[in-house]
Amino acid sequence: MSSRLLPRLTHLRQVHSELTTNSFHKIPHHIKPETSPLPLYGGRHLVTLLPGIGIGPEMTSHVKEIFATAQAPVDFEIIEGTGEELVRNAITSVRRNRVAIKGNLKSVIDEDGFIAPNVMIRTKLDLFVYVTHYKTYKNVYSKWPDLDLVIVRQNTEGEYALLEHESVNGVVESLKIVTRENTERLAKFAFEHARKHGRRKITVVHKSKQLELSDGMFLQTIKNVAHHYPDIQFEDMYIDRCCQKLVRNPHHFDVLLMPNLYGNIASNIVCGLSGGSGLFSGMNYGEDIAIFESATRQTGESFVGKNIANPVAMLNAGVNMLRHLGKSEHARLITDAICHTLTTSRVHTPDLGGVHSTTDVLSEIKRYIEDVKHLN
Amino acid sequence: MAARILKNISSASKRAVGSRLYSSEVKKCTIIPGDGIGPEISAAVQKIFAAAKVPIEWESVDVTPVRGPDGKFGIPQSAIDSVNRNKIGLKGPLMTPVGKGHRSLNLALRKEFNLYANVRPCRSLEGYKTLYDHVDVVTIRENTEGEYSGIEHEIVDGVVQSIKLITEDASRRVAEFAFQYTKENKRHKVTAVHKANIMRMSDGLFLRCCRDMAEKYPDVKFEEKYLDTVCLNMVQDPTQYDVLVMPNLYGDILSDMCAGLVGGLGLTPSGNIGLNGALFESVHGTAPDIAGKDLANPTALLLSAVMMLRYMNLNKHADIIESSCFATIKEAKFLTGDLGGKAKCSEFTNAICEKIAAASP
Repeated sequence: MSSRLLPRLTHLRQVHSELTTNSFHKIPHHIKPETSPLPLYGGRHLVTLLPGIGIGPEMTSHVKEIFATAQAPVDFEIIEGTGEELVRNAITSVRRNRVAIKGNLKSVIDEDGFIAPNVMIRTKLDLFVYVTHYKTYKNVYSKWPDLDLVIVRQNTEGEYALLEHESVNGVVESLKIVTRENTERLAKFAFEHARKHGRRKITVVHKSKQLELSDGMFLQTIKNVAHHYPDIQFEDMYIDRCCQKLVRNPHHFDVLLMPNLYGNIASNIVCGLSGGSGLFSGMNYGEDIAIFESATRQTGESFVGKNIANPVAMLNAGVNMLRHLGKSEHARLITDAICHTLTTSRVHTPDLGGVHSTTDVLSEIKRYIEDVKHLN
Repeated sequence: MAARILKNISSASKRAVGSRLYSSEVKKCTIIPGDGIGPEISAAVQKIFAAAKVPIEWESVDVTPVRGPDGKFGIPQSAIDSVNRNKIGLKGPLMTPVGKGHRSLNLALRKEFNLYANVRPCRSLEGYKTLYDHVDVVTIRENTEGEYSGIEHEIVDGVVQSIKLITEDASRRVAEFAFQYTKENKRHKVTAVHKANIMRMSDGLFLRCCRDMAEKYPDVKFEEKYLDTVCLNMVQDPTQYDVLVMPNLYGDILSDMCAGLVGGLGLTPSGNIGLNGALFESVHGTAPDIAGKDLANPTALLLSAVMMLRYMNLNKHADIIESSCFATIKEAKFLTGDLGGKAKCSEFTNAICEKIAAASP
């Protein structure tokens, strides 16, 4: 069997070197730029806005509305379009502004082949980690009360390498790539993040008994990094056992650290347990670029134009963005408004079991912000 | 190695599988008690089957690896012969010995019988309350290829690639089995779980096979859902799913998650269907800490044995045993430790046998 693979291996080495030179799957060996401050024009930040499809345009426009009410000094550069052109323009804009907020972008098949803009933007901009924080809101229905979980997930490689081929008719191979360098960066980020936010435990999730080389290397690399952080408890768990434990006793976990696909699965499970995809946001981080979006990256096709979608997810993304920009006061104001709307006024959209519309939720948030402003 | 030995033997003793359906004589089944609590729960199942007068003769085999003539550890020849002869097996929990030279028995059996589909029905047990009521989901998972094909290489130092293999044959086989299972068990909907927005070619092929098969079964409803959507919805409301069919990795994770919804692996049956036979097993561990103390819960192995009876078309016996088991758990008078009770394994078993005796004419 190995002799059959040998020619393929040399071909792959060739393909690999091609990939590292000119395509989206760069193995990062660039020289780290000195971190320069974020661009600021006349005291106002300029960020990229990618509305996308589905409820993306509506939700991102709500972010603009609420920012205006809260008088956050942020301007938006809107990038629209499809396919290769969208990817190119988006990347240029985000490289310039270094911060972006986005909806779900449409995948197309055109003359350039299969274009998945979401994945391509992430890989080309080297946004190697995706952080989602699931914290239940009081008085909002969730399967488990008082959950507070962080999921740190590898964002660029693994199963999402988009490398597939049909070698023989009816036989398809899809490649999953794992690199030590990316895993090390991911682990360092996770442990630093845990330390910064006072988290006590990190659980690495993998399937190294079946995937000995790839997940094995993932696990070993992270274990090596864990040695440098003795103040943080560290454990590892198989993905199937982890999913089972999540539905039976999610309070066991604190921070979950996982490769790309497992992170997707666990993220969605925890999101469902904490109250649904309408509430939570996610943060894509690179070396010096950050993109914010809704945690489960849903398109929400069925909610378009009906005024029932939950705006909180994208608003939380906006809040995360404000914090990243250093505008902590404005971030605090909007967070308090959201909390007040959900827990005290209990203005809930149908996905949370309520009867209110999107506009109801937004009005309540705006009302709270204006009240606070009048008091000051 | 073990797999090669098994292949040689099987080609010599192929038999028409259909013959099992016609005779009303006593059928022989291989039982592999396993390690830890394995022997106790296997004995419990055999006792219950005797009480229900099931026309099965058990052939018990031990699969502890022995040193073969080539010096390597492998499954004993007698075990191989037995499983080949009877074509149907019931397996208890096995302890995988650590160390090189031991070929995984699960892998060997899977390759030997071409066990291409893993079926795990997850049903809420009345009497054992979890956060989720009325769960009734069946996960059917492709068992031979996909992400677990084991083809991995280190391309350069620090860069590893793992190949996920999807073939049309395997996908078609498992899709056909899924629809057939749905029809035979009078269920109404099949959901194909995939990630074709990212893995367009591989999951796309799997999806195409499912779609083609759906056309052949027009009275069974068919839908396709993304993996993330299924995960999100499953933990909020599992009643919206009926039968799920998916490739290897997603199936592994989702079937364990569904087991978690109803109470864990200690209560979930599991069946592996193959081209030349079927193997039913309990998927929990060996629990060495309670082994030999008459504290184990035989429910998982018992429900797997019931699945085996249905596969053999002994539906009347299957119904009696299953309802007796559910009734005993619902009654909650004799529950083992893992279900929150204090009864012994033998007491639980006897309670079921009493109910069977009461139900049988």
